[in-house]
Amino acid sequence: MTAKASVRLERLLGRRVIDAHGREVGTIDDLVAEPAGDEYLVTHVVLTSSNRLSRLLGFLHQVPTFRALGLSRRPRIRRIPWTWLDLSDPEHPRLLPTVTDRS
Amino acid sequence: MSKLLEIALGIVTGIGGFLEAGSLATAAQAGATFGFQLAWAIGLGIICIAFLIEMAGRFAAVSRHTLPDAMRERFGIRFFLVPLVAVGLVSFLVLASEIGGVCLALQFASGIGFQWWALPVAALVWLFLWKGTFGMVEKGASLLGLVTLAFVVGAFRLDPPVGQVAARLLPSLPQQDSAKYWFMAVSIIGASVSPYLFYFYSAGAVEDGWDVSYLGINRLVAGLGMTFGGVVAIAVLVCAAMVLHPLGIQVSRYEQIPLILVTPLGRTGFVLFIASLAIACFGAALEIALQLSYLAAQGFGWRWGENLRPREAARFTLVYTVCLPLAGLVIVTGIDPLKLTVFSMALTALSLPVTVVPLLVLMNDPTYLGERTNGWLSNAAVLAVGFVACVVALVAIPLQLMGS
Amino acid sequence: MELGLAVLDQQVVDRHDRMMGKVDGLVLETRPGEPARVTHIVVGGTTLLWRIHRGLARWVERRRGTDGRPDLIPWSRVLRVGVDVKVDVDSSRSPALHWERWVRDHVIGRIPGA
Repeated sequence: MTAKASVRLERLLGRRVIDAHGREVGTIDDLVAEPAGDEYLVTHVVLTSSNRLSRLLGFLHQVPTFRALGLSRRPRIRRIPWTWLDLSDPEHPRLLPTVTDRS
Repeated sequence: MSKLLEIALGIVTGIGGFLEAGSLATAAQAGATFGFQLAWAIGLGIICIAFLIEMAGRFAAVSRHTLPDAMRERFGIRFFLVPLVAVGLVSFLVLASEIGGVCLALQFASGIGFQWWALPVAALVWLFLWKGTFGMVEKGASLLGLVTLAFVVGAFRLDPPVGQVAARLLPSLPQQDSAKYWFMAVSIIGASVSPYLFYFYSAGAVEDGWDVSYLGINRLVAGLGMTFGGVVAIAVLVCAAMVLHPLGIQVSRYEQIPLILVTPLGRTGFVLFIASLAIACFGAALEIALQLSYLAAQGFGWRWGENLRPREAARFTLVYTVCLPLAGLVIVTGIDPLKLTVFSMALTALSLPVTVVPLLVLMNDPTYLGERTNGWLSNAAVLAVGFVACVVALVAIPLQLMGS
Repeated sequence: MELGLAVLDQQVVDRHDRMMGKVDGLVLETRPGEPARVTHIVVGGTTLLWRIHRGLARWVERRRGTDGRPDLIPWSRVLRVGVDVKVDVDSSRSPALHWERWVRDHVIGRIPGA
């Protein structure tokens, strides 16, 4: 019987994802799960900008006053399929080499 | 309880609970040093806290969450730690100031030095929390706090030039002593807008089981309660301006403050001053210590509730059981309670953006508030005061430290 | 459902609606080429410390030789995810409340009138 491999959600959040060429793809902001019968399956990864300033401006965007004053920026997020991730090293998630990041 | 009675009780609680070490010390110093000129700072502080209290109540009633709980949920543990530590540290210093205030009152009454009273007072606050219920703490202390209306009586007795006072509700620039003026202005704002006030109010709304039907009550209690409460603070400023300012006494030492009630009310004024100081600060100490417990317990998901027996909410109880003697020890060191108080108020102003921005993010989040998110005015008013106060504090605090 | 937003850091209550902590972590079973499965919610232990400071968490675990025995509650026992996360568990037996019981028995409970 093989031991089931597992990762911890809370240790994935905030990790930077790089692609097979070593280029930065983004930072893991959240995971999306869909119900499938009695279970919940993780289908997508929500990535946000790795740039701290960008993230701060995205955070401030939630308060309308900052938006009105132009002191914030829409947070840049994108979703990628969970299956694109290579988690052989959970502390350093990468995109699988077979995936072409079309961004 | 009928809604009308609840509104009345809420407003009365707001009046009786408004004055505490910080608002008293800063208003007295401001009145003594600058006459009526800083009345606008109290007014601005009142407007800001009224908005914040309304927000905190609305958040609890609509989302059924407390603020620390929602902050942890929404921001995750790492970003929750930022307001947690900021509010926690500042509140702890204010707690020490309140204990100091009670100790000073006891020193005035007995002649025994304030340092000796520190640990006994801390123990008494602890005992009230250990044995008491939420209603007792919230309503009891604030109703007794109505004794602070003595300052309003005193102010009337001094027959102040009302027109001049009203005129000073508009901001004005200082003619001299600019550094001190702005330092006092931010201290006043810090005293009015202490985070523990709206955190405690939010916890109270949840403890009392408020729901959407309480939104109207919430608005009235916040608006009228804080406005009438602020009148007491202005009365302190007026008394100090009429009594101490003409004598050139700038309240560098706390023994000078009781004079502001002695002059209009004689010997009774002295007794009323001691009672006001002791009760107002004791009540505030109860609230702040409880609020520190709420902050930790609600943020970390522990069992909490002042109506629970201590053993039913052990870690929650542990927080105030540890914080109170530590705060008492700060006073035992002999640090000047007046200086500690005024300084904590300035620090509160400095930390406002860190405490207020997370709150505003929550208040604009439809996941928690549905359609009842903040209007533009609430956001703008609070942000403006918070950031301006912080910037002024950044300049004024170092100048004050260098000057003294 | 965004797991971090909807589940992580939410208040956990037991089958009697008593508070037992917050969702400090989530265990995901990974399967190559397929979506991961949410298997457990984690309450207590050093889980939270790992998120605050990894170095500190590692040091604490090494010193105590344990991860603080967090409660791993199977996802199948989650009754609802909403205002809070309700689980079909009796919290009085849960390791998640280990520290609550310890403080109660060794500190608070020793003071008269508790």
